[in-house]
Amino acid sequence: MTQGTIPRPHSRAPAVVGGIALLLLAAPFLGLVLATHWRHFGFAAGDGSAVAVSLGYSLLALVLIIALGTPLAWWLARRKPRGKWLIEGLLLLALLTPPLAMGLLLASMFGPYGPAGSLLERAGVLLTNSAPAFVLAQFYSALPYYVIAARAAFEGVPRDLEQLSLTLGLSPWRTFVRVSLPLARLGLAAGIALAWVRALGEFGVVLIIAYFPQGIPVKLWVNLQDIGLQAVYPLLWVFFLVAMPLPLIVGLAARRKRIF
Amino acid sequence: MRIDYAIRHPIALDAAFDVEGFTVLLGASGEGKTLLLRAIAGLLPARGEPFGGLPPQDRAVGYLPQGYALFPHLLAWENVAFALRGKRRREQAMALLERVHLAHLADRYPATLSGGQQQRVALARALARKPGLLLLDDPTSALDASTRDDVLAELIAEVHEFGVPTLAVSHDPHLAALADQLVLLHERRIVQQGAPDAVQAHPASGAAARLLGHRNVFHGRIEARPGAPVLHWQAAGLQLDLRADIALPAHADVEWTVAPEAIRLTDTDTGPNRFAAWPEVRHVQAHRVELCLRRGAARLWTQVPPGPVRDGPLTLEIPAQAIRLWSGLSG
Repeated sequence: MTQGTIPRPHSRAPAVVGGIALLLLAAPFLGLVLATHWRHFGFAAGDGSAVAVSLGYSLLALVLIIALGTPLAWWLARRKPRGKWLIEGLLLLALLTPPLAMGLLLASMFGPYGPAGSLLERAGVLLTNSAPAFVLAQFYSALPYYVIAARAAFEGVPRDLEQLSLTLGLSPWRTFVRVSLPLARLGLAAGIALAWVRALGEFGVVLIIAYFPQGIPVKLWVNLQDIGLQAVYPLLWVFFLVAMPLPLIVGLAARRKRIF
Repeated sequence: MRIDYAIRHPIALDAAFDVEGFTVLLGASGEGKTLLLRAIAGLLPARGEPFGGLPPQDRAVGYLPQGYALFPHLLAWENVAFALRGKRRREQAMALLERVHLAHLADRYPATLSGGQQQRVALARALARKPGLLLLDDPTSALDASTRDDVLAELIAEVHEFGVPTLAVSHDPHLAALADQLVLLHERRIVQQGAPDAVQAHPASGAAARLLGHRNVFHGRIEARPGAPVLHWQAAGLQLDLRADIALPAHADVEWTVAPEAIRLTDTDTGPNRFAAWPEVRHVQAHRVELCLRRGAARLWTQVPPGPVRDGPLTLEIPAQAIRLWSGLSG
């Protein structure tokens, strides 16, 4: 009797290819570790305030994105309005526009000579080189990412569960809070993480309409120009340090405990 | 409780009937049974009473859809407590779970429960909001055949115990046999309703008999002959004698049936209503054996004694007095 070989249940190919992809992903950061002058690790003037500006305004932008983007995403997932392709196109357009171009478009609309900008300026709100301008830039760069992720998350919530909640006497709002939101939470968490990363790292739009106050991405550029590469790395380390926790915590919290 | 609903979209369906105790609405697939339940629950635009015009959250119904739609992110007791408010939510939910004999599974997620257990959690959840009417969509569909009877007996006992009028829709004659009240839906109309023994004994049409799971329901035509009328059974190419007192006009299209147990196996084919048929399938159950025979394009069921069936054609007799006729064709 010959003994046959037992086939391996899993092929090794995905692991090998995955390993290569991970190595490629890690390479630039390995470079950063090697390039950083650890003995002369120090910050340039103004780095601290750049961190505060980036963190504070990105959080504010994120709150606005969630507050306005969530109802939009739910509406897009649940209703089939006429002209839906127009809305799809608009979302895609906002995603496609190169950041620098988006900055210019925002300047032409909200800048001092733009139709909205001049009106707002009369009301005392300056949307160039100001805190509101900074938040505006981040809002525009991150909103479409959040809306698309959140819409997919809501589309994954079975409608019969929402309807069943209504038959149990819960209002549409309470149904949203107790059924739609928890069941969409993984996708929503991904959307929040994506929006945060986009907002915090935004450079192009910010460069055009909110060079001041300087957040981390612009300050990195300024440090490079004024001092050199060695002034970039410490601030970059801080950027990673402050940018990581929120998406990590949100992602982990969404995955915690409730496994079904 | 009187139900009177009219749906216009996506299909037209009118249904008016009474729900008493455990009422089963029996209808074939595609008749709109689920749509009717959804309309009563307020999830589909329709006109009707009770609850007409109210949004779903204001209708006092407990709705158990197919598959039960338990909330996968909530534990069994949290599902039951979903409609409850206040500090004593857990206590009340546990009391309900106790009544459906599932208190020991309160801290399990729905995905870890069997079909029958999920059904009882869904029942407890629906009852928590104290409904005036319970709606069950095809309660037998997600149950294992081996435990179905016990699970259904349990479900019906619980429904009776809670005393809530219940409307179950199904295509399963098995469920119909357990009803307090039976309603038959055919071609999107109610064709018969009443106590199950009366409905089972006297189906209003061939279609009603088929819904009830009766076998041997055929099309035929009455032909005039001197003495007594005969039934022309086209599919089998046979003429069958009828009782002399049949009062149907000649050349009338009819539906007719004969109970499997009324068909006799004989040795000779001389005599009225005797003919040869070829065995096709033997259907063996615990206490009886049924044989499916073929004659022309017709398939006929009869009961036979346990044991092997001899090869070749068998000779059958359909006694004239066992033939039951309905005038007209019901589809």
